[in-house]
Amino acid sequence: MKKALSLLAALSLMASFTACGGDTSETADTQSEASSSSEAATDESSEESTSDGSKIKLNVYAFTDEVPNMIKKFMDTHPDFAAKYEMNDTQIPTTDGLYQPALDQALADGSVDLFAAEAAFVLKYTQGEASKYAAPYEDLGIDVNQKIKDAEIAQYTVDIGTNPDGKVVALGYQATGGAFIYRRSIAKDAFGADDPATVSAAIGGGTQSWDKFYEAAEQLKGKGYGIVSGDGDIWHAVENSSDQGWIVNDKLHIDPKREAFLDLSKQLMDNDYHNDTTDWTDDWYADMAGTGSKGILGFFGPAWLINYTIGKNCGGSAVGEGTYGDWAVCEPPIGFFWGGTWLLGTNDSQNKEAVGEIIEWITLNTEEDGLQYMWANGTFNGEGGTKDAVASNVVMKKSDGTLDFLGGQDMFDAFVPANNYANGKNLTQYDEKINSFWRDQVRMYTSGQKSREDAIADFKQSVLDELDIEAE
Amino acid sequence: MSKNAPGKNKWTVAYTVFQYIVCILLTCLSLLPFIIMIVNATRSSAQIQAHAISFLPGTNFSANMKVLTTKTFHPLTGFFNSAIIAVSATFLSVYFSTMTAYSIVAYDWKFKKAFFALIMAVLMIPTQVSSIGFYQFMYKINMTNNFLALILPAIAAPATVFFMRQYMIPALPMSIVQSARIDGASEFRTFNQIVIPMCKPGMATQAIFTFVTQWNNLFMPMILLTEKDKWTMPMMVSQLSGDMYKTEYGAVYLGLLLTVLPIFVIYFILSKYIIAGVALGGVKE
Amino acid sequence: MSGSQKHLKGMSYAKYGYLFALPFILIFLFFTLYPTIYTMILGFTDAQGVGNTTSFLEEPFENFRRILTNNTFITSLKNTVILWMLNFIPQITLAMVLTAWFTARRITIKGQGFFKVLFYMPNIITAATIAILFNALFGYPNGPVNDFLVSTGLKESSVNFFVSKTGSQLIVAFIQFWIWYGNTMIVLISGVLGISPDIYEAADIDGANGLQIFFRITIPNLKTVLLYTLVTSLIGGLNMFDIPKLYLRGGPDNATKTVSVFIYDLAFTGKQQFARAAAASMLMFIIISLCSAFLFWLLRDKEAIALEKMKKQEMKEKRKGMSGL
Repeated sequence: MKKALSLLAALSLMASFTACGGDTSETADTQSEASSSSEAATDESSEESTSDGSKIKLNVYAFTDEVPNMIKKFMDTHPDFAAKYEMNDTQIPTTDGLYQPALDQALADGSVDLFAAEAAFVLKYTQGEASKYAAPYEDLGIDVNQKIKDAEIAQYTVDIGTNPDGKVVALGYQATGGAFIYRRSIAKDAFGADDPATVSAAIGGGTQSWDKFYEAAEQLKGKGYGIVSGDGDIWHAVENSSDQGWIVNDKLHIDPKREAFLDLSKQLMDNDYHNDTTDWTDDWYADMAGTGSKGILGFFGPAWLINYTIGKNCGGSAVGEGTYGDWAVCEPPIGFFWGGTWLLGTNDSQNKEAVGEIIEWITLNTEEDGLQYMWANGTFNGEGGTKDAVASNVVMKKSDGTLDFLGGQDMFDAFVPANNYANGKNLTQYDEKINSFWRDQVRMYTSGQKSREDAIADFKQSVLDELDIEAE
Repeated sequence: MSKNAPGKNKWTVAYTVFQYIVCILLTCLSLLPFIIMIVNATRSSAQIQAHAISFLPGTNFSANMKVLTTKTFHPLTGFFNSAIIAVSATFLSVYFSTMTAYSIVAYDWKFKKAFFALIMAVLMIPTQVSSIGFYQFMYKINMTNNFLALILPAIAAPATVFFMRQYMIPALPMSIVQSARIDGASEFRTFNQIVIPMCKPGMATQAIFTFVTQWNNLFMPMILLTEKDKWTMPMMVSQLSGDMYKTEYGAVYLGLLLTVLPIFVIYFILSKYIIAGVALGGVKE
Repeated sequence: MSGSQKHLKGMSYAKYGYLFALPFILIFLFFTLYPTIYTMILGFTDAQGVGNTTSFLEEPFENFRRILTNNTFITSLKNTVILWMLNFIPQITLAMVLTAWFTARRITIKGQGFFKVLFYMPNIITAATIAILFNALFGYPNGPVNDFLVSTGLKESSVNFFVSKTGSQLIVAFIQFWIWYGNTMIVLISGVLGISPDIYEAADIDGANGLQIFFRITIPNLKTVLLYTLVTSLIGGLNMFDIPKLYLRGGPDNATKTVSVFIYDLAFTGKQQFARAAAASMLMFIIISLCSAFLFWLLRDKEAIALEKMKKQEMKEKRKGMSGL
């Protein structure tokens, strides 16, 4: 009681401080005056420099150095542009969950010209809560619809980058359409041949169904292999195959094809078709090097998974070392995409044309001195760099995606169609969170700790509790 | 020390052996993460992803160093920025908290109890949400990219005040303060020249805690400091792991190691107070 | 002599109390008050998302009501209490034992300076690093711990710690215990070092043994610092955030989701429901205050309170006497 009273006293003390506190607010004032005057000084100096005919600052927000490096490259190759503008980039990684709060604050202040958004949260900025900040590419001076046609940009990236008014506000440079990336030696042992056509036929490539895939899994099991490393590997394909997204008319909707993930995952587990690993853990990487509990046929993934993840974890760096060279790519049973970065300009930008020039060079230019050509051929940082699939099919067609890592296969043969199969229309801005709730409950069901009904009920409860979205 | 009873000796030996076993076990637990950090700083990303824990050093130290310096990691700038923030925040926090605690312990003033209750109330406010208000406020008054926004709030450190108050109550005999007054010393001088030396062990522990927290602080600097030449060490390390799809783990561990080294130095300097115990700073009645 | 003493008694030192508290108050007003009040007010609004207009709710306590009926909030509250108990009881026990050992005057442990320094070290590393480390240690199916369990025959096959609710809670509690016991130990040791050596010397002369000295002298004199330890670990424990957030992001099945993780997720992910997160913060503030008040009451200094009462009584009587005259 006494303490409660003194707490009350504390509160009233606080109130009285705010009420009177004559000289304290004065100090506060002088302090803010001092800081604002110092700010005014910096403002002046920047104004001075612009009136001198030197550079205008473009404020760029990004979560890695990838986009800022591209802009640097653009400036290096466009000296006229570089004479007028300079980049002021802010990089905040997404890993600590700080990129979005900081970006949102800066957007609300109107102090961003150009920013990058990752697949996990891009919809918030193109179609969701924060889409009001994104400027249509048209307003940046880009003849966007014609250019998209000319460059044959993968449709799913356009769908994701289109705002509720039907205008394109974001495009990517990478294409992240996914394929099935498999081990040649294991395919040969199980199916008799290791060419993409045979393997694709064996796992039901393009059939839009998992039936053949599970038959292949049984076949592989007979030889002592698993078909995938963990249930997370098939999730992206399952997610992308659904007819509708998680939210339909502001209500949580569980699409039958996504609900089926419960059974698909359980089947993998009960029949011992996988090593039961979790993606991005040590044991998942071990399956890339072929050192896991049992040999694993393959992984579902886009081109970046080959270059940045499997390639680095295959246990070698030349043919014959580890699983290097033992890989190939074929069509997956169901098309999907995974990850990617989109670029957005802002309505509040004072330099829309400059932003438009940069964005066009990165996302829509199909020339050999455009970004995408360098990106596809691994020449961005000089010869012999990492090759990646890009958004423009035109660029990929004239590029060489041959990799020693894939035993000499041209990966673009598989990824050009993969980009066309991917679906950009069944996504919502809260997917990152809803997906993690869903996969968590699926794991509970698969590991036998919960019934199917309980898992679904608890999933709905989590979405209601944390996102305030009711189930249908 | 005392070996008066021979029958007691056996138990004393067993007891001592038990003490050492516990201490050595705890030592291993304490050293484990550091050994792994050092070892991983010499290994390649692929090696680390395959087996995050290993006691065999690799040969990638210089390669990792190269990755580190070609990325946005500038150890000197980061060290300098972190040092300015952490050292000044620690100094201000410990000095003014001791002063605040002293005002509560040594003087009778009208709002003393309410003031202490207020400090405790501040201590109990969950920080996750009030941080929103804080950074919006800093934006409003244009204190982003200003170290003062990170340093000055340390002066009002409720936990440190609370500790120093609890520490002073038994450790600070008011009779000493009284006799200083009789000698004609001003209150401010009494505080600086008598009270502070007597509180050194307590202040040293708080200095360590504050320094470690400030040095490792990531959330606020990340949101408030957007200019690259103002980045702190942990921000630079965090930048290294910014892209989960292609993280350079070897370089990350090397970065972490470089970040932790300065803490060691400060910690070992301050630890003499918690090891030896400069109890009562030589002022013995 | 008598003159100066009179002068001392007559002089009021109260103004120095205000003066010495002033820096704290100023900085508090400038940096902390606004965010705090902002948070309090936010709880009564519909603030949500980025750049939306915010207005007060028609039903002022709607956010509070919705939080109190939120299953995940209730679960996270339970988890927080469980995780705190699981880590705090062993933590304070070990810290006390080590303090007793390292401050013992009879049997001194060799190299104790070395141990004292080392035991605090887990507290130096950032939580993110520790989370990665433990994630790797408990990897499934082939992490080091599983390899150990299987090769020693303790378990027939690997245990998937990532989907085990109890397992995850124990691991998070262990990490918390391991990071903080050194910190608690240092606080307690510094408290013991603050106790006047004279008291110990007197006890030595009286022939008290080690246990007697620890329980009769160290503990009672440590009471104020002990209160600090209890209150701050309570507050820290109920605000537990880093490790549960980073180790398994509050999973599996919300088993390691603490109130702070819940609040953070509400405010900074998904819909960014600032208002509701603020309401949850205020509720948490009330819970923490009640628990701390209980600790203060439990460890209150009875003698000091009695002394103060006596003083007041005396004053009253004096006044009575005065008015009677």
